[in-house]
Amino acid sequence: MTTTTTQIAARAVDLVKTYGSGGTTVQALNGVNVELVRGEFTAIMGPSGSGKSTLMHCLAGLDSVSSGSVSIGDAELSGLSDNKMTALRRDRIGFVFQSFNLVPTLTALENITLPMDLAGRKPDREWLDTVVDTLGIRDRLGHRPSELSGGQQQRVACARALASQPDIVFGDEPTGNLDSRSSAEVLGILRSSVDRLGQTVVVVTHDPRAAAYADRVLFLADGDIVNEMRDPTEARVLDLMKNMED
Amino acid sequence: MARRPMGRVSIRNLRAHKVRLILTVLSVILGTAFVTGSYVFTDTLKSSFTGIFNDAYKGIATHVEPAHSYDAGIPFADLATIRRVPGVDRVAPGVERPAALVDSKGTKVASGGAPSVADTWTVPADRIGDPTRFESGGPPTRSGQAVLNAGAAHKGHIRVGDRVRIVLSNRPVLTLTVSGIYRTKTESGGYIGVLLSPGQARQVLSDGRHYTSVDASAKPGVSEQELTARIAKVAPSGLTVETGTKLRDDTNAQIQTALSFVNYLLLAFGFIALIVGTFIIYNTFSMIVAQRLRELALLRAVGASRKQVRRSVLLEALFTGVIGSVLGIVGGVGLAIGLRELLNAFNVGLPSGSLLLRPRTLIVALVLGVGVTLLSAYIPARRASSIAPVEAMREEFALPSSSSSTRRTILGLALLVLGVVLTVLGATSSSTSHGSALIGAGLLGVGGAALMLSPVLARIVIPPIGWVAGRPFGRPGTLAPANAVRNPRRTAATAFALTLGLLIVSGISVIGASAKGSVEHLFDNNVRADLVLTAGQQGTVPQPAIDAAAKQSGVGSMTQFHLAFGLLDGAEEAGSGIDGPLPAVLALPAVSGSIAPVGNNLVASESKARERGWKIGSMHTLTHPGVGSVRLKLVGIYQDSQLAGAWLVSGATYRALTPANERAAEVGLIRIAPGADLSQVQSRVEKATNPYYVVSVDTRTQFKGQIAAQVNTLLGLLYALLALAIVIAILGIINTLALSVVERRREIGMMRAVGMMRRQVRRTIYLESFLIAVFGALLGLALGIVYGVLFTKLLKDQGLDVLVIPWTQALAFLVVAGIVGVLAALWPGVRAARTPPLAAIVDA
Ligand SMILES: Nc1ncnc2c1ncn2[C@@H]1O[C@H](COP(=O)(O)OP(=O)(O)O)[C@@H](O)[C@H]1O
Ligand SMILES: [Mg+2]
Repeated sequence: MTTTTTQIAARAVDLVKTYGSGGTTVQALNGVNVELVRGEFTAIMGPSGSGKSTLMHCLAGLDSVSSGSVSIGDAELSGLSDNKMTALRRDRIGFVFQSFNLVPTLTALENITLPMDLAGRKPDREWLDTVVDTLGIRDRLGHRPSELSGGQQQRVACARALASQPDIVFGDEPTGNLDSRSSAEVLGILRSSVDRLGQTVVVVTHDPRAAAYADRVLFLADGDIVNEMRDPTEARVLDLMKNMED
Repeated sequence: MARRPMGRVSIRNLRAHKVRLILTVLSVILGTAFVTGSYVFTDTLKSSFTGIFNDAYKGIATHVEPAHSYDAGIPFADLATIRRVPGVDRVAPGVERPAALVDSKGTKVASGGAPSVADTWTVPADRIGDPTRFESGGPPTRSGQAVLNAGAAHKGHIRVGDRVRIVLSNRPVLTLTVSGIYRTKTESGGYIGVLLSPGQARQVLSDGRHYTSVDASAKPGVSEQELTARIAKVAPSGLTVETGTKLRDDTNAQIQTALSFVNYLLLAFGFIALIVGTFIIYNTFSMIVAQRLRELALLRAVGASRKQVRRSVLLEALFTGVIGSVLGIVGGVGLAIGLRELLNAFNVGLPSGSLLLRPRTLIVALVLGVGVTLLSAYIPARRASSIAPVEAMREEFALPSSSSSTRRTILGLALLVLGVVLTVLGATSSSTSHGSALIGAGLLGVGGAALMLSPVLARIVIPPIGWVAGRPFGRPGTLAPANAVRNPRRTAATAFALTLGLLIVSGISVIGASAKGSVEHLFDNNVRADLVLTAGQQGTVPQPAIDAAAKQSGVGSMTQFHLAFGLLDGAEEAGSGIDGPLPAVLALPAVSGSIAPVGNNLVASESKARERGWKIGSMHTLTHPGVGSVRLKLVGIYQDSQLAGAWLVSGATYRALTPANERAAEVGLIRIAPGADLSQVQSRVEKATNPYYVVSVDTRTQFKGQIAAQVNTLLGLLYALLALAIVIAILGIINTLALSVVERRREIGMMRAVGMMRRQVRRTIYLESFLIAVFGALLGLALGIVYGVLFTKLLKDQGLDVLVIPWTQALAFLVVAGIVGVLAALWPGVRAARTPPLAAIVDA
């Protein structure tokens, strides 16, 4: 029992998320149960409007849940104060968004250390060096986001997500705005962080090629998990998606 | 038909952006309120004063008074001559003298800035204009009776039958019984008018030979001009004979001039408020347009024309401008009332009268308020209309920013050079008036340059201050300065109100502090007297009070300064007549000869002697027409002294030239006897002068303190201006921060997502605001102090020979600015902190 809990990086139980009130409510999540395993790369797929982003927001503590529960590691999220929730995101979760990842007034390095700076913690130098070198952005550290290409910006965002050694890294279409080469680079980085550093990564995507980088793919439809695939390849994911549409 | 739907859109938007629009409306209100207030206040005062004097001078066809201050007046005998002039109906003589009124309990009734005088009661047969109306009682029928105006009576709680006293220059205090209380049409705040029975008035108020004025009315069919010409023919020399119309016109012109200063000061603040308002309005509409770009693009896509889009934005501006201006006009009337009440609370003596809101005031305020709003919204409106319909489909928006920053910098530098050149020319000019005009022009140039260059300056000045101030706050501390200079033009515009306010206030503070310092320095180094006897700002010390004080034990010596004036070798001059030992109380280093204003000696200051080409041993004649003439010999020349003035003669000379009833001392200076106790002597002298009510007896330190207090009162008015600048600045800062918070919503959401606490978001905003405010304040302080110093140096010859820079005060201003910055950021900070982390990702 104890061994299994330590294996779980994040968990949702009967997760329901409803938007709006009265007659115009939208049930975005329909009682989702999911466990995200430590040291695994998970991809969440599904048609547009199926609730992928909502699920990720709820798992990452960015949005409140209507019912059910979410936990990160051994921390139960429901009922946390805003401050506790913010501290949890800061210390235990890494984020890579689709765009607007970086603070324009800070340099790349300052952006990378932002969560730790906000916490008033000194970053682990050695680890920071490892991350920076792995991502190949050492010569860009003094630059502002506006001086970086889209791919470089996303790599800096990955570095920020990894630098604080969080329990789990969330990405909502992190490669959505990138060309295929940059996108392959960013996904490769996330992949290697799982392989080499033992990081836990969860990525929302609608791109089968991106999903192929994952260990496990969860398929969402109408606010619930309807399918799951281990060790996916691009072809198998495409196949399954076709079947689901039928 | 096509415009209607856009109008609906405008109104809906006004509702949607309530808070921001309230700020905009407030800034329009402030500007128009000051413009309105200024006009209403001065128009009202003008009409009240005009009413007072037109009433007082009603029916006067000809007015006769001394041509110069040294001219004696109208000889008693000439009254009959004037009465006999054909066409003269009634003739009313006056013997007005300054007099302090003491109520039955022995307290002096304060008149504030208004006159406090004693004059003769005009018998109904002589009375010109409407008959006197009594509130209670009746005319003085015999010596020892007097009537009082209602305002003074109410102030002193005086009733008919009460015994009051009046204090005149050179008479024992006079006790009078109040026989009646008369009404004037409009009571000016503090005016005191005590009217004595004609016989007693001639006896105690006049010099025994002259009236101070004579008014005459004309018989029907005789014109003012005719009558005046006829009277002028029979009037002796040394008199001005003028028509009643000229008397009224001159008085009105004087009022106009006196009030124009107030008018300009208030108008200036109205314009500052409107200038800052321009930035606020511009910001608000830029922000509204930025937020609505997608919607506007959509409107364009579904067929709204460019013109319609522009109009819809301008329509919003029109609503805002009209609402702001109307409220501003209401506020301005309130401001005028408040100002009058405030000044009356300080006993300034303003007349009461119904407020006057002229159509001109309404038009100016409306045109300014609406015009400024429309003008400021025009650029955002044009930008809004330049949105391509296709942009409705785009993900992100960026307003095309008009980049003329290099042009602006170059223009700013050019202005700076011009300003500095003018300033240097002014500072090195030998003439005070020339120099101050040049420095003033230079200040305008440099001030304008500061405004133009302040975006550049902000980028230089804010980062280091931010680095220091932000240290204790970690990462939020470093974000703030970066945010503050992200849009340096906006920062500069926001800080402008504080810059301007502090420029004015700190500049005048330097001059004020220097004035205080100079007076103290002058006193410490030149005055040796232990006690100083004075009679307030406008009064003179009655001669009997001086004589009584001099007799007290412990008084070593008493030196009196009298105001001596007249024609010195034919030219009008004013100096002092001295009784008592001079060196005992005043250090007056000699340049040549001996400084002994005794007998028929004349001693003069170095500059006066040079100006008039006087040499030691030369003979001069000092004449007071109608009184006498003295031959004087110049025996000494002293170094220019603020205290001694242009020239000195003996007390005997003074008395030879001054009618007995006018004799008084400007100031009495006492040296206590060796070994005497200062506070004991002071209390004895106080007791001896108490029966004269108007005399204050101060030690040197107390007297210096009084002068300092007077300067402080003046400076106090300035703080009201500073408060105004602060209010405007707060509005501007709130507006700018609200705009920034809206613009940075995604960024703030992202930082919230990666772990920025709400309090850290708030702190970042507070600090940013603090930096903007401190930047504005620093710029204003720097300029204000530099120009304050320059003006002080320029006024060196006017007695500002000690330069004092009030650093602690400057520091206090800076601290206040910082606090203001934080206060202004409270609401935007809370709003920013409420940004949900999801704002980073979705338009939540
Ligand atoms: N803030 C919101 N308010 C109302 N409905 C929302 C909101 N966010 C998402 N939804 C709805 O919830 C459902 C799931 O949305 P989302 O999680 O964004 O789907 P996906 O990311 O898979 O495209 C959709 O029907 C969407 O319209
Ligand atoms: Mg989505």
